Amino acid sequence: MKKILIANRGEIAVRVIRACRDMGIATAAVYSECDRAALHVRLAGEAWPVGPSAPRESYLRIDAIIDAARKAGADAVHPGYGFLAENEDFAAACRDAGLIFIGPSPEAITLMGSKTAARQAAIKAGVPVVPGTEEPLSEQASDAEVQTVAERVGYPLMLKAVAGGGGKGMRMVASASELAGALRAARSEAQSAFGDGAVYLERRIMSPRHIEVQLLGDHHGTVVPFVERECSIQRRHQKVVEESPSLAVSPELRRRMTSAAAAVARTVGYTNAGTIEFLVDEAGAFYFLEMNTRLQVEHPITEMVTGVDLVQWQIRIARGERLDLDPEALLIPRAHAIECRIYAEDPENGFLPSPGLIQGLRAPQGPGVRDDSGAYEGGEVPIFYDPMISKLITWGDTRDHAIQRMRRALAEYQVRGIRTTIPFFQWLLEDADFKAARFDTGFIDRKMGEKQRGPLQAIDAAHADLAAIAAAVHLFTKPVTNGAAAPAASRWRDAGRTEALR
Amino acid sequence: MIFEVAIGDRVRTVGIVRKGGLLHVDLDGRTHVVDARRINDAIVSMLIQLDGAAPSRSVDAAFATQQAPGQRGPGGGGGDFDVHLDGLTIPVQIRPAGSFGRQKKEGATAQAAGPQRVLAPMPGKVVRVLVKPGDEVKARQGLVVVEAMKMENELRAARDGRVRDIAVAEGQSVDAGAVLIVVE
Repeated sequence: MKKILIANRGEIAVRVIRACRDMGIATAAVYSECDRAALHVRLAGEAWPVGPSAPRESYLRIDAIIDAARKAGADAVHPGYGFLAENEDFAAACRDAGLIFIGPSPEAITLMGSKTAARQAAIKAGVPVVPGTEEPLSEQASDAEVQTVAERVGYPLMLKAVAGGGGKGMRMVASASELAGALRAARSEAQSAFGDGAVYLERRIMSPRHIEVQLLGDHHGTVVPFVERECSIQRRHQKVVEESPSLAVSPELRRRMTSAAAAVARTVGYTNAGTIEFLVDEAGAFYFLEMNTRLQVEHPITEMVTGVDLVQWQIRIARGERLDLDPEALLIPRAHAIECRIYAEDPENGFLPSPGLIQGLRAPQGPGVRDDSGAYEGGEVPIFYDPMISKLITWGDTRDHAIQRMRRALAEYQVRGIRTTIPFFQWLLEDADFKAARFDTGFIDRKMGEKQRGPLQAIDAAHADLAAIAAAVHLFTKPVTNGAAAPAASRWRDAGRTEALR
Repeated sequence: MIFEVAIGDRVRTVGIVRKGGLLHVDLDGRTHVVDARRINDAIVSMLIQLDGAAPSRSVDAAFATQQAPGQRGPGGGGGDFDVHLDGLTIPVQIRPAGSFGRQKKEGATAQAAGPQRVLAPMPGKVVRVLVKPGDEVKARQGLVVVEAMKMENELRAARDGRVRDIAVAEGQSVDAGAVLIVVE
């Protein structure tokens, strides 16, 4: 393998470029119109345009990306995560073009991409799944028939649209008396949202944690699982903080969960990097949720607690090497690691996107800190893509140590000119329940609900005093440029205008 | 030189004179001696003797102009720029002495005056309008949902009021800064 084309952008493209550099492999980036000056383009060995800014016209264009790989003379393609990473047609197109796709086979992507097929694979591997109906409920089924099925699944349960997503066509049913009404509502919502009214039943897991197991599989039949990641801190079903290991997982539970995850992967002949997601209930029972057939956003925390470079291993597996990692060592965390996803969003205003020019940037440094970023000072955060600009990872001997370092790193982190979720994490890290690791997947929504009014980041009088002094000193000492009046002078005119408009 | 600095709903008066290599900064009647070093256009390092106290407080302050339209800063108030210090981001407005006038000095009333225009924070599509003209709305109540950056974003009322105007329809594309809803 001499040259890898990275079919992605932003921080993950930068991450893959770095892995290639470490291995002495040449890199080719792709970019859309607005990404011409993006960091991944600047850092890559070469870069090829793939179309206009809208993802559908560039980063999601299979033909344009295969064409770029051909022109670049690349022999392999790394898809990153998102965009085409879990697209079986793209994996197949790479294979047809004679390119090595650094990921699982198109067949594995297809199989594990189907919720019902993935569930059946888990059952076949002897791994528990959330109790529920394997097939959608028949449209003709009478209320009495549905009642019988529901009794078997057990209450409380969820009605879910087969074509569903984003919480639409989903209803919680606490008891038998609510079933008929909820069924009608879920069917009609599913019909209008997805054009398909089919729904199925699933037991509702109370106060679940979302815990996942990273895997690597080579082309010689070896599958190794890694110590778990705790991903229960989610906002609108999106992970925002991840850590490894989970305080809710004992060494004994870890052994059972990682064995179960590996069993699912072996059942489907899985290769390269993948992740099995589980729900874990309060009693410590775990249920297979789904498999992600790609590198995960949160892969660095696993790297920091095991010392394994997952992206390098993806590449090594793709070129046919054997996994020679000590499987026992991968289950014993050497540290505790935490990741915060830094988004260009304004947490003080309902997490509104905050794209634009990054006027200034100071990334945190020092012991136990890793900043995987796609941003730079003077760079733009475009409006077209996911607003994540960086992943901040800290680690330490204990969870408290890692949290303490995260606090330090967040305070050092300045992203000036746009708003970011840094204040949100600063607020979260002070929460007593978070500090005690008492949470489930509903944690953030509950905490944000309790906190309706007031800013996340309260500015005390002493800091407001300092800010006032700083602002005045800033204007007072700002250098005069080109013999023109100091910038402050134009503010006086603006002041008059602002006042006039009030 | 005397400035007025608005942070949140409070206005502070800051006077500065240069004495030798140091700045004497008067804040609401207390004098602080500041050793200010400019690191670059956007960063100032300050060593501050707060109100004559002995320890030299080191404050590294960085500045950025605010670029996005819409509701900004604590209490929904707009700022001229952000001051970054001690891990905090503090939006400030700064004017020559006397510019803010009496109203602002009296506190939060300035924020509450006048109709509240809810603007599109960025280009996007209106997915849902959650209110009708004439509706009474509470502070932080959702008014309209705009989709951008693959996310649905609910824009909320900054304070209690009545919906006067709805300038957009569901499904409509809007530019950054477009007025969506006016609440009075």
